[in-house]
Amino acid sequence: MVVKSSGGAQIAALEVAAAPRPWREWLRRRTRLVLGLLSVLAFLGIWNLATARGWISPVFLPSPAAVAAEAGNTLDTGELWRAVLASSERVFAGFFLAAAVAVPLGVLMGVWWPAKAIIDPFVSLLRPLPSITWIPLTILWLGIGEAQKTAIVFMGSWIYILIYTIESTKRVDPLLIRAARNLGATDVALMREVILPGALPGILSGLKVTLAISWSCVITAEMVAAQTGLGAIIWRAKDWGNLPLVLVGMAGISVTVLVADTLAELLERLLIPWERRRPR
Amino acid sequence: MERQAILRAEGVSKGYLEARGAGLVALEDLSLDIWEGEFLCLIGASGCGKTTLLNIFAGFIEPTRGRVLLRGKPILGIEPRCGMVFQSYALFPWKTVRGNVEFGPKMKGAGRAERRQIAQRYIDMVKLRGFEGRYPYELSGGMQQRVTLARALAADPEVLLMDEPFAALDAMTRQVMQEELLRIHEESQKTVVFITHNIDEALILADRIVVLSARPGRVKSILTNDLPRPRHVTIQLSPEYARLKSEIWTHVEEEVHQHLEASRYAAAGGG
Repeated sequence: MVVKSSGGAQIAALEVAAAPRPWREWLRRRTRLVLGLLSVLAFLGIWNLATARGWISPVFLPSPAAVAAEAGNTLDTGELWRAVLASSERVFAGFFLAAAVAVPLGVLMGVWWPAKAIIDPFVSLLRPLPSITWIPLTILWLGIGEAQKTAIVFMGSWIYILIYTIESTKRVDPLLIRAARNLGATDVALMREVILPGALPGILSGLKVTLAISWSCVITAEMVAAQTGLGAIIWRAKDWGNLPLVLVGMAGISVTVLVADTLAELLERLLIPWERRRPR
Repeated sequence: MERQAILRAEGVSKGYLEARGAGLVALEDLSLDIWEGEFLCLIGASGCGKTTLLNIFAGFIEPTRGRVLLRGKPILGIEPRCGMVFQSYALFPWKTVRGNVEFGPKMKGAGRAERRQIAQRYIDMVKLRGFEGRYPYELSGGMQQRVTLARALAADPEVLLMDEPFAALDAMTRQVMQEELLRIHEESQKTVVFITHNIDEALILADRIVVLSARPGRVKSILTNDLPRPRHVTIQLSPEYARLKSEIWTHVEEEVHQHLEASRYAAAGGG
């Protein structure tokens, strides 16, 4: 349908076209949920069948029931909770440290080119290094305690946060900067009122992506040298030949990262109300 | 007694360097005096440098030659006393209507209560009472345009620069906005420099109409519009209106033809 009689009608028609009918959207969301659930159940069913019928030896893959029993055990003894807590603490320490350094630095590099010119070579050289390559040096410098785990998370996270922050800062609409200047904004006011809020959505989504990266860093660090944490559980279980516990550890990581991600999303919506209704 | 212009362009030229090294002259040796309190419309074919001129008045860009004076002093940087009403609104998406309108007073250091009061006055003036807490994305184009206008007015500039502010609006909203703007101009007595390519709009709004020539932009002619105020759409039916319109049209028509000729020539020979 094309409405050309007046701009207003045209805009109205577009708005109607853009907003899907609510009940349809609701139905689709429900269907999506049901399909997702069914697919997980089917997977568990096939897995169960494969192990129960002996198609796959328990040496290679334990049955879902064995994994569930192991999960119950570790939950009862509190081992799993302690591991989640230990890993979370390391992630958050490293992640917040990285954010505390990289966000201000990224904003500075975004608005002031000499800073970018000075720091850019190091970013280019450090970015290709996986966090795992920092393990020998960090163990030498910091031992195998908490500081070393935090350092691995930090080294694996800060560059991503930095890059996201620089990009978001540079992408603030120059027209808005012009408008603010025209309304009498000083440098400080421009930073506080325009550049920071303008870059905030991009910075937050960068932090969200990086949070998942931080988790993979901590697990790596824990698998190499740690007594506690989800990574350590998996590694120890491997040494003991306890395959169900390996899978419990892996599931533990998935669920914890999912929960952390959901919390981050909630926080994001709270912090940037003007983007709440944008399609995602 | 010699009247001092509030805003004055003296021999302003502006050239741009294009990608392939070819130069483009947007404005050439343009001189213009704008009087305090007047409503001046700049009209001309597309690409005649109207927006360039406005951006020079605002201090967003510097002229290649010549200078612009505000109350006798040259404009050297972005000039808050020349408030710009952007065609694309340029509202801060993270600020509510009130937050946007309060921006100017806040930059001047007005306290919380004071800037709220100022903002409310202009929000009322553009008839947006009840929408103070909305974010720009929740408003229609016409409403966003009114917020931009209120924001510019609340900053209390000496000159309002308006770059085809109503071009994106539908005909009816546009007409309402024109009448609002006339009322606001009457009330505030601010100097307004208004760009349009619509002769009717210029005739409804302006005290003086400046026709710019096709590229490079120069002042082609200046017409005084003494249609009685307050003006209403019905003024378009008067013989005086028709006479003025046809007079402006002859000036503009030449330029449009010239512009078309030039672009045809460029298309044929430029290759």
